[in-house]
Amino acid sequence: MVTSVPELSILILLIVGGYLVMGFASKVQGTEILSPTDIWLIIVGSFLISTAIAILAVIGGIGGGVIFTPIMLGFTSLDSLVIRATGLVVAMFSGLISTGPFMRSKLANIKVVIYCGFPITVGAILGSVAAIRLHNALGLVGDGIVRLSLGMLMIIIAYFLFTGGGKTEYPEPKHIDAFSAKMRLNGSYWEESLGKVVNYHLVRAVPGGIMFIFLGFIAGFFGLGGGAFLTGTLNLVMMAPVKVAAACSGVLLAISNATAIWTYITYGALIAVFAAPWMLGQVVGGILGAHLLISIRASFVRKVLIAILLISCIKLVLRGIEEIFGIDIPII
Amino acid sequence: MKDDSLKPPLAGVIYGEIVYWGLLISCVVVIVGSVLSFLGNSYVPVSYWLSTIWKGESVAEIWKGAVGALPNGHWYLDHLSKGDALTAFGISLGVFPVIPGLLLCGLTLLKEKEILYGLLAIGCGIIVIIGLLGLVPAT
Repeated sequence: MVTSVPELSILILLIVGGYLVMGFASKVQGTEILSPTDIWLIIVGSFLISTAIAILAVIGGIGGGVIFTPIMLGFTSLDSLVIRATGLVVAMFSGLISTGPFMRSKLANIKVVIYCGFPITVGAILGSVAAIRLHNALGLVGDGIVRLSLGMLMIIIAYFLFTGGGKTEYPEPKHIDAFSAKMRLNGSYWEESLGKVVNYHLVRAVPGGIMFIFLGFIAGFFGLGGGAFLTGTLNLVMMAPVKVAAACSGVLLAISNATAIWTYITYGALIAVFAAPWMLGQVVGGILGAHLLISIRASFVRKVLIAILLISCIKLVLRGIEEIFGIDIPII
Repeated sequence: MKDDSLKPPLAGVIYGEIVYWGLLISCVVVIVGSVLSFLGNSYVPVSYWLSTIWKGESVAEIWKGAVGALPNGHWYLDHLSKGDALTAFGISLGVFPVIPGLLLCGLTLLKEKEILYGLLAIGCGIIVIIGLLGLVPAT
């Protein structure tokens, strides 16, 4: 893998070299709560966790933000805007870096990406602006609302992942509606695991397009990309093969998050020193995940992701209730 | 056997390659910026950034303690010799290739007589530019 993607080898070498220099030549001062070693460990640990998340996320056809944001919002006391801004980094960079391999392998269909990309960017920019306005207007209660609604959203995402398994791997629509036919949302790709070409034609382009406005809003508002919804919509509603849906969703969530993240950057919610290792981990893990996706089945990874999502959603709902109603629920 | 129909469309390849290589270049910038920050050349000390985040301070509190107020813009462009600003610039640089990628993808589609898809791709690019310029006010 590393030798077949030379740029990945160079990047990993640069990152490892960089972290070694940061460890041995550090001039970072300690604070009352963090020693210089703690600070270095946070950076390196973030990179390693981010790499693992990216591999799982790309193979599972979701954004890494769907794993990162709920866990961080549920289990840490970091500011929710910082988490959501970093969550967008986590969500988008594995998608961004896997764009090249997906386009080259023809797993991602450029027409599908462009068709769904327009509504999703509109929704994303509106969602990011709404997130900051709600945060400023409602403070802690606003954060509670975000946690509670995100927790409930996670249940739906887990359901989407659960139902998006074997039976819809290669959907065959019985009827292609006139608008979808006119839009020519069709394509073909080489399915390595079957050893043959798979042809497909997407359907229900109108409801699918409308759903993507809403999905973009969710991505921008919660800072999690919403890749599971994108994959679900493309696979279950528009009947794309699951691998095509996963690849297109990776490219699409990168586009939607690239729109949303500027709002967080210009506001100051993206703290670069904190976000950088998460970005680098996504890039390294994204390349690995994209190459693995071409040759393996995604069903096992989906089950792992469902378990992670369900645990996160329980914690998010509890913390949301605590913050909105000012009560303490004695459950870890 | 694989056939010519599996050749990826040029517009998709152009978008994919611009984003892919642009992002890899940005990673190098982010690594250099991170190292510089740890070597003490930072606009705001690394320990301050991470400690305040770790304490759960809000974005407004973090920036107020660092430089007195929220940046409300692309603050890093004025401090590119500093490691943390260079890191922020690198992350932004990683996001940026989506814009030329979409615009060139759109132009390629237009050249291939795919008028609707070409215009949609350019429209996507313009929406991302609106986000970059902060034309939809968040505060």
